[in-house]
Amino acid sequence: MNAPMSLTLFCLGAVVLIPLLASALSVLLGSAARRVLGVLTSAAVLGLSTPILVRVTSGETLELALGGFESPLGITLRADGLSALFLAMTAIIGAVVSCYAAARPAATGKRLAAQAVEPAGATGGDHRGALPQESPAAWKSGHAGFWPLWLGCWSGLNAVFVSGDMFNTYVGLELVGLTAVALVALGGREAWAAALRYLFIAVLGSLLFLIGVALIYSVTGTLDIIDSGKAISELAAQGEADLAAVVLALCLISLGLALKVALVPLHRWLIPAHSSAPSAVSPLLSALVIKAALFVLLRAWLWVAGPLPELQILAWVLAGMGTAAILLGSVMALRQSRLKPLIAYSTVAQVGYWFLLLPLLLDPETNALEGQPGTALEDGAVLAGALSGTVALALGHGLAKASLFLSAGHLKDLYGTDEIAELRGAGRAHPMLVMSMGLSAVGLIGLPLSLGFSGKWLLATSAVAAGHYWILVVLVVGTLFSAAYLLKAVAPLLVMSEDDQTALSLPQAKTHSDPSDKTLTGKAQLAPFVLGLLTVLTGFLGVWLTGVLEVGAPW
Amino acid sequence: MMLDSSAGALGASVEAGLLGLELTQVQWYLLLGTAVAVIGMVRMLLTRDLVARLIALNVTGIGSLMIILALAARSAESADAAGSGPGIDPVLSALVITGLVITVAFTGLGAVLIRRIEGFQASGRRDDAESGGTAQDPEAEQ
Repeated sequence: MNAPMSLTLFCLGAVVLIPLLASALSVLLGSAARRVLGVLTSAAVLGLSTPILVRVTSGETLELALGGFESPLGITLRADGLSALFLAMTAIIGAVVSCYAAARPAATGKRLAAQAVEPAGATGGDHRGALPQESPAAWKSGHAGFWPLWLGCWSGLNAVFVSGDMFNTYVGLELVGLTAVALVALGGREAWAAALRYLFIAVLGSLLFLIGVALIYSVTGTLDIIDSGKAISELAAQGEADLAAVVLALCLISLGLALKVALVPLHRWLIPAHSSAPSAVSPLLSALVIKAALFVLLRAWLWVAGPLPELQILAWVLAGMGTAAILLGSVMALRQSRLKPLIAYSTVAQVGYWFLLLPLLLDPETNALEGQPGTALEDGAVLAGALSGTVALALGHGLAKASLFLSAGHLKDLYGTDEIAELRGAGRAHPMLVMSMGLSAVGLIGLPLSLGFSGKWLLATSAVAAGHYWILVVLVVGTLFSAAYLLKAVAPLLVMSEDDQTALSLPQAKTHSDPSDKTLTGKAQLAPFVLGLLTVLTGFLGVWLTGVLEVGAPW
Repeated sequence: MMLDSSAGALGASVEAGLLGLELTQVQWYLLLGTAVAVIGMVRMLLTRDLVARLIALNVTGIGSLMIILALAARSAESADAAGSGPGIDPVLSALVITGLVITVAFTGLGAVLIRRIEGFQASGRRDDAESGGTAQDPEAEQ
């Protein structure tokens, strides 16, 4: 028993430290070696995440104090059901996207390279050698800076997911944010302004989160997530204790994380950042980076704060913003004429779904219904259903959106444009890409079988059980809208018409993409297809998901 | 708030003439930190000058770190009142130091990005034609 246990604990530390080490190491290597290292690391992380998931599924919460230093000053890593699920999603998507980026180095960004004047500076791929003053410089596709940044980002993501205390969560979020900004900036000149804007937003969000964490610490005297949750519920049980500081902290944390997750009035930065990022980066940003903030939000609301009645207004405000996000994001997605901004707006819309559960948490009537005769509800059933529905939606969104952004980016690289009108009939030449777009659309709309369907089903049933029928309305409207905008994106690509002349005149592979680039037609197309397939296949996991989330759940 | 009793014992109260309120040192710094953070935030959101925005973000960062330091001193104050105080809370101080490191990191990244953006603007749009029509202003999409 002891030996496999310690092996799993080793994995818990290694999922954070191995990508970090690889990130540092890759700076020293040439660009070809970086690709090899990147793929090896992603295989390693996939392998290390598996025992964690298995062990947590069997009902254990893993905990590791790094270096043997205990809680107040040491770093505690902890993996419960929520951590294991997000860790597994990140490992799968990260590995697939890494393989894609290794197979198609051109998808990792653009760099200014001095042309044949200084070949040494150019092959280094370092941005410092490419100042605008050096006039014989040209944009070359492919940026080896992708690998250290992405591996660092991965390390940060895993750190957020397995962190046992709020402060390491903050450090992980910062690492994710800063590397994500730099990853956006790899997209070349048009991406720099978007990256800078993203930097301001991400840092502002982190600062608000940090103040919130400090406030919670000053009330509870601990940074540990579980301990501070206990301390707060004890304070609440005492009754007369002043919880204003906790409410303020939750307001700040929610606002900061809403900035990072791009909840609706705060969403404007996301569109340019996600749509101007390189093809291999957009899927990572949309599928994973946003999920880190969502994960922390769930932790803060469910584990730290608990069901304080004082938070009800905030919960309703956030749920209202979520509803607005679904409506506004969908309408804006319908109005786009280009593929990548459309997908970015669909992210904005999907973010809204994750905030709908908050009023369910705090409704006193929810708990009153549970365990009473006549209602077939066990204790915590509503909460468990709502949480697993939300998590299923988030995981399904991760898989589907990664696939969708990968295929859209691939099409953009192929044809030099992502105007939907100009891509009419692309499905004829590239059936696999358009097929994977279709599969991920199934997942995003939430058609039966997909993980998105399981999520919506779980969320809807628990909403009905708690008497929150408005959630049902929002879900149905959101589903119809997402069907509309995804059909708008995918349908023109499927046009095969012989009667329509325009359908067959696709723009040739031109501009910045080299026509002789074999990687565009090769195995790289498998990557979005695998993710699209997973979106649909994982739909069977709905019930299993609920079971895993029970491990280490706060109720 | 709950600080009032300890404040008298310490005699560290500061007369804030503003509203005739008697503030403890900690409360004074809390207010000051909040003011600095809010001013920085407002400036950051309102200005269009990129360097000014970066500086304003730094000011916001300093403000929030001041709030945290004041909170650290607060727990020291209550500990002193109980008779055994190690001074400033070490955990929150560690938070502040990490926060400073991160401030340096994002300032550096922001400065590099601003230098590139403005470097291109300064060197003219000469190479616009070369890099093809794919370049689009990300701001224009909204």
